[in-house]
Amino acid sequence: MLRRFRGAVPYLFLTPGGLWLLVFFAVPVLIMASVSLQEGSLARGYALTWNFGIYPEAIGRWSTQILRSVEYGLIATVLTLLIGYPIAYTIAFRGGRYKNILLLLVILPFFTSFIIRTISWKFVLADEGLLLGTLKSWGILDPGFRLLATPVAVISGITYNFLPFVVLPLYVALEKIDYRLIEAATDLYASRFQAFLRVTLPLSLPGLFAASLLSFIPAVGDYINAELLGSRDTTMVGNVVQRLFLQNNDYPEAAALSMVLMVGLLAGVLAYQRILGGEELTA
Amino acid sequence: MSDDQDQQTAIEAAIARMVANGRLSRRDFLKRAGRGGAYVGGALSISAFLAACGISPAASNTPAATATPSASTEPTPVPTPAGQLNFANWPLYIDTDDNDSTKHKTIEDFTAATGIKVKYTEAVEDNQSFFGTIQPDLSAGNDTGWDLMVLTDWLIGKMVGLNFLETIDIPGLVPNFAAHGGDKYKNPSYDANNMHSVPWQSGITGIAYNPKLTKRELTSFEDLFDPAFKGKVGMFTEMRDTMNLALLGIGVKPLDATVDDAKRAQQKLLDQANAGIVRQYYDNSYTDALAKGDLWATMAWSGDVFQLQFDNPDLKFVVPKEGGILWVDNMCIPAKAQHPIDAQAMMNFVYQPDIAAQITEWVNYICPVPEAQAIIKQHAKDAADGGDQETADYLNAVADSPLVFPTADMLNNLYSYKVLSEDEESQWNDLFQQVVQG
Repeated sequence: MLRRFRGAVPYLFLTPGGLWLLVFFAVPVLIMASVSLQEGSLARGYALTWNFGIYPEAIGRWSTQILRSVEYGLIATVLTLLIGYPIAYTIAFRGGRYKNILLLLVILPFFTSFIIRTISWKFVLADEGLLLGTLKSWGILDPGFRLLATPVAVISGITYNFLPFVVLPLYVALEKIDYRLIEAATDLYASRFQAFLRVTLPLSLPGLFAASLLSFIPAVGDYINAELLGSRDTTMVGNVVQRLFLQNNDYPEAAALSMVLMVGLLAGVLAYQRILGGEELTA
Repeated sequence: MSDDQDQQTAIEAAIARMVANGRLSRRDFLKRAGRGGAYVGGALSISAFLAACGISPAASNTPAATATPSASTEPTPVPTPAGQLNFANWPLYIDTDDNDSTKHKTIEDFTAATGIKVKYTEAVEDNQSFFGTIQPDLSAGNDTGWDLMVLTDWLIGKMVGLNFLETIDIPGLVPNFAAHGGDKYKNPSYDANNMHSVPWQSGITGIAYNPKLTKRELTSFEDLFDPAFKGKVGMFTEMRDTMNLALLGIGVKPLDATVDDAKRAQQKLLDQANAGIVRQYYDNSYTDALAKGDLWATMAWSGDVFQLQFDNPDLKFVVPKEGGILWVDNMCIPAKAQHPIDAQAMMNFVYQPDIAAQITEWVNYICPVPEAQAIIKQHAKDAADGGDQETADYLNAVADSPLVFPTADMLNNLYSYKVLSEDEESQWNDLFQQVVQG
């Protein structure tokens, strides 16, 4: 009896989370899949017609935006890793008694809403604003120069917004590295750089893996940055879905495009995990 | 540096103004509340989405059939108010108490005059998603829970076509509309003889610009295509506004527009986008970009520009010589509403010129009652006599602005949106999405 109960404990612990995901994730995904295969209009209502043709149609029509999203997501992820790794490294190994304060500083932006932070970029980067206006008045920049409504602004916005998601897992991975291993490497005549390349970096790979996914996945689906900082030439797939959904009330195509994005990302992530070495990383 | 200081003093002056007389108009309200509208709208639309998913095929296959009888063939109900009214309106679209945003003097006056209790809800964030919330009930022939709704003209046209609206009895129950409503608002293209709707407020879609930056006056739709303004021109992300204005720009009256005309308008807009003239396609946020100088010239809504002008007196609004859009938000009664007589009592009530003036003094959109202008003038005079010059100046600005009471010349050059059939709407959406999202 007791034995049997014990065996059930892990499942009991999983129940709240499992129910939560069932109601708020699995059911919506099924509804979305069903909506994507419906036809109709807002006025007449929609009916399920198993219209699978919507998928190639949606991919064909929005391929530019899909590819652009992946491109921006990749660039932003690489940038967040390049910026975030030194931050995490410094906090983990050189933070000393300031560790907690430094970590708090990393999380601090989260105390303000994502949207407010992005909108405030518009003020900082405005054509005649704080930054560009000053540089233009000094004659450093051409009067016609602008950052807003360019890919640079969108990618920078994404990089900025997802940077904390990269720093935290990297910090956790670096923090748990036994520093004696690095000391041992230097004792064995490795230079500091060699010790980093052959000890620290490989040991932080699980953190890099988690960090890159936490940045890449939301970045590809993001539409706020492109909406607020971009223009028509920086439209990402999230913006297309948003417009199809809210402006055109074309629920089937919006749902199909969302499914494409979700399945595409899932496949990409699985392949990535394969390449990076799989199971031992997730430990 | 001096820009910062100017801004600082402007903000201080605005705060001082507000503190000095306690007057709070929609403009100040917007500033205080922040512009979160788009995201509230996003949340609402989820319910629209779920509603759309929840429709059983049976109900959707028989759309109009169930709704038809209630809307048009039943005899007019006996005109006795039930004493209750559920009113769905847009946010910040009625006079609101300075200290309590749930108190509206117009609503209180109405209850005092008629004994009808009003449940006033700011339920409409945008037409599409609000329609999504009521469509399942309307299709199934059920009561939506609303008695009176304020919706934009093109949606009125669409709902009339679907028999989703009750008819109203203007001679019997809304005589004030016949007596005091402006001629421009009678017998509109989207609702013949105002059988189902009377205007609440309206506005103009035209062009706003900052002459200091454009270095010249703008008069024409073509001015939005001037290569000298490259990257400094704003267009709307709203399909109907941009497509209809572009149609006027190429010399086509929206009502006569064919799909070929729409394609030509699209080409015009694509050329503008591909030449890099358009900075971005905007929702309400164009006002910030215009105020900051990121935009030199942009499509604009009259009410916004009126309010921007308090802080940026340089800004100008013009109806392009090829024509502008007059959009009208209308009061209407959904089919099967529980309290249609009470709803018509409200329609009649707000067409009293002094009540119309009371709403317009706060809302600052175009008032459908021309007589309200003289009343606002009188209020300004009263305020000046009472020593409140600040209020008097504000009220005079409202009464004298052609953006609140347009001149006859302006009105003559304004056109309604084309009411689109379902096929046309989906074609226009596709054409326009290529414009805004490449």
